[in-house]
Amino acid sequence: MSRMRLLPQGTIQWLRAAAQPGGTTGILGALFLVTAVTLVLEVVRSFLDLPPVVVTYLVPVLIAAIRWGFLAAMTATIASAGSAAYFFYKPVHTFYVEDPARRLGLILFAIVAVVTAYLAARMRRESEIVRRREKEIGDLYAFSRRLAGGHSTSDIFDAIEKHLATVVGRRVALFEPRGPSGRSEPVGENGVPQKVRETVAAVIAGHADGAAGTAVADEHGNRWLVRTVSPKTPDLGVVAIDLGHQTPESEQEIRARIEAVLYDAASTIEKIGLAHAITEVRMRAESERFRDALIGSVSHELRTPLASILGAATVLCNAPAVAGEARLAALANVVRDESERLNNEIQNLLDATRITGEALQPKLEWAEVADIVNAAVERRRIRFGSHAVEVDLADEMPLIQVDAVLIEKALGQFLTNAAKYSPPGSKIRIRGWRDGETLALAVSDDGAGLTAEDSARLGERFFRGRRHVQSTPGSGLGFWIANAFVAANGGTIEATSAGENKGTTVTMRLPIPANVEQLESISSE
Amino acid sequence: MSDAATAPNVLVVDDELQIRRFLRSGFELDGYSVSEAENGREAIRAATLRPTDLIILDLALPDLDGSQVLERIRSWSNVPIIILSVKSSEMEKVRLFELGADDYVTKPFGMAELLARSKVVLRRKARATTGDSVIRIDHLKIDLAARNVFVDDERLTLTPKEYRLLQILAQYPGNVVTHQELLKEIWGLPHINDTHYLRIVVRKLRQKIESDPNHPRILLTELGVGYRLAPPSDPSDAQAN
Repeated sequence: MSRMRLLPQGTIQWLRAAAQPGGTTGILGALFLVTAVTLVLEVVRSFLDLPPVVVTYLVPVLIAAIRWGFLAAMTATIASAGSAAYFFYKPVHTFYVEDPARRLGLILFAIVAVVTAYLAARMRRESEIVRRREKEIGDLYAFSRRLAGGHSTSDIFDAIEKHLATVVGRRVALFEPRGPSGRSEPVGENGVPQKVRETVAAVIAGHADGAAGTAVADEHGNRWLVRTVSPKTPDLGVVAIDLGHQTPESEQEIRARIEAVLYDAASTIEKIGLAHAITEVRMRAESERFRDALIGSVSHELRTPLASILGAATVLCNAPAVAGEARLAALANVVRDESERLNNEIQNLLDATRITGEALQPKLEWAEVADIVNAAVERRRIRFGSHAVEVDLADEMPLIQVDAVLIEKALGQFLTNAAKYSPPGSKIRIRGWRDGETLALAVSDDGAGLTAEDSARLGERFFRGRRHVQSTPGSGLGFWIANAFVAANGGTIEATSAGENKGTTVTMRLPIPANVEQLESISSE
Repeated sequence: MSDAATAPNVLVVDDELQIRRFLRSGFELDGYSVSEAENGREAIRAATLRPTDLIILDLALPDLDGSQVLERIRSWSNVPIIILSVKSSEMEKVRLFELGADDYVTKPFGMAELLARSKVVLRRKARATTGDSVIRIDHLKIDLAARNVFVDDERLTLTPKEYRLLQILAQYPGNVVTHQELLKEIWGLPHINDTHYLRIVVRKLRQKIESDPNHPRILLTELGVGYRLAPPSDPSDAQAN
């Protein structure tokens, strides 16, 4: 951005800036072009009797202006005027021009050339600025996207590092201010020399000047600049920038440039609300880990006494003394059924922590759909009570490659929900059929159905329909777990309903492996 | 089974007093005579000292791992062993079945389920000792000696692989045989992971022996673990037929 300020300032500065991009290459290029035009004109003149066309020299002037900037264009102008006078205007081989009209022509040529060169060079600079601004915006956009998508602080520092590397244009290693172990770790995998690391540690510890930056040479003589990203706060990390081999003067210049770029970058980063984002992400990760660990251990601890309660309750239910006494039997059944339910909720919590803990790795095996459906129905048979379960599987269902246990759990969840939210005595239907490249399994009930809000929020963790919060117990985890289990097997879930109290159909679709027919035919005998 | 002389002896191994308590009541109500052990060493000693018909073995013991106890007891005895565990991973089940467990029940569980499974493993032992080579399950009759299979007294034509599968399962009716074991026995070691071979043969076999192949009642699937045959019909029923 500091570059743009140069434009409206004094001519000398402007000239210097204009001359910069091409440098000596531009001047040499301009001279070469003028020579080429002179040669062409000489050759043409030996064939055709033409007066020398001095306007031809505008071609090298324009090219030089567009390609290399103003200084090269000026060089081309002077060289062109000189060549015309020397080679083509009488007396030949002197710079003196006899004819006053030609003299005037040359002067006019020079004026036109200078103006054209100026305009061309300006256009070139402007388009370059636009391009650079576009790139800056693009970089910034990419950066903010990476920031927004970050799940941990290291994601964010990774983004900062990439951003800095882009704007500085050199090898950059960013160090997180306070790593998890209290030590600072480089964010990326850049090989940072030991000496530089030591300096970084010193800057972080406050022994070295971080705000102004400290330069250090590594064992190969490369110079590195170590400083905090922002002079105001160490929270944005410490950056080590590879300066390469430099003379003291050029190093000074590069450092000044980096200074400016880092200043801009730091204020941008601060504007994006990065410090806040970092704290946020840290807390989120921390609390999620804590919650999952807590749920995991609590669930396990709850299960142990629950095993005794449930076991004892089932013994009581069948003991002759209790079974013969209707009221006692009813009570014993309550204990049994409720501990059964508690057990299921605990299982849900454990499944949920498995999903968020990313420990969910499906063990894919060839499976028969009917086996999965039967296991799910069987496992929940006791709880269906008065519901009639009707299973209708198409003939000749292909084998699928899934983690049968996870799919069975997901299907069981659908069944449990269907039983929970539909009136006793109503029917629950399971249908299975082949639908193109997928195998579909649908569970339908005649129950509470879904409202528009329910449909929209069904996949959310802990979501419970407003109508059921008071009346039906549950944690709101089931559907979310089922969704995660099916997704882990490459499948999808869809819940549809004709509306409130018009029943619900939940359909899971699982991919059918492409080679299944072939496998089924070869393994027959 | 209420007769003291014929009451089967069950050894309950669990470090938790409450669990042992309800297991004792549950088994005693069903006519078993119960002894207890609260750790692995005690369990091994008890199994050697007393005639035991059935062991209920918890996996999490304070001194030894339950699977070690299982291995030790298996080194000299065929006594039926049912494993109890809070873990429900299929890998774990497969491992224990291969170490020689007869059944696996995940905690928490209901007493009725454990009693049903106990009956199945005890019946298998009884059949093994009588050396009866004819097994009846529902309308299916397997004559292991003559290598014949009947449905409602009508002889079936089975392919060699189908018969082999039935034969392996029938050696331990009611008990789970893991996928790997079946694949190894029928197709050989190189095909130990080709589960689809097994699925196809099971599908064909079910079409021949089940009245509704989509709802099998004889050849049952233990999801993620293996297959088992339904418990054989009572020998007394068989004689009545």
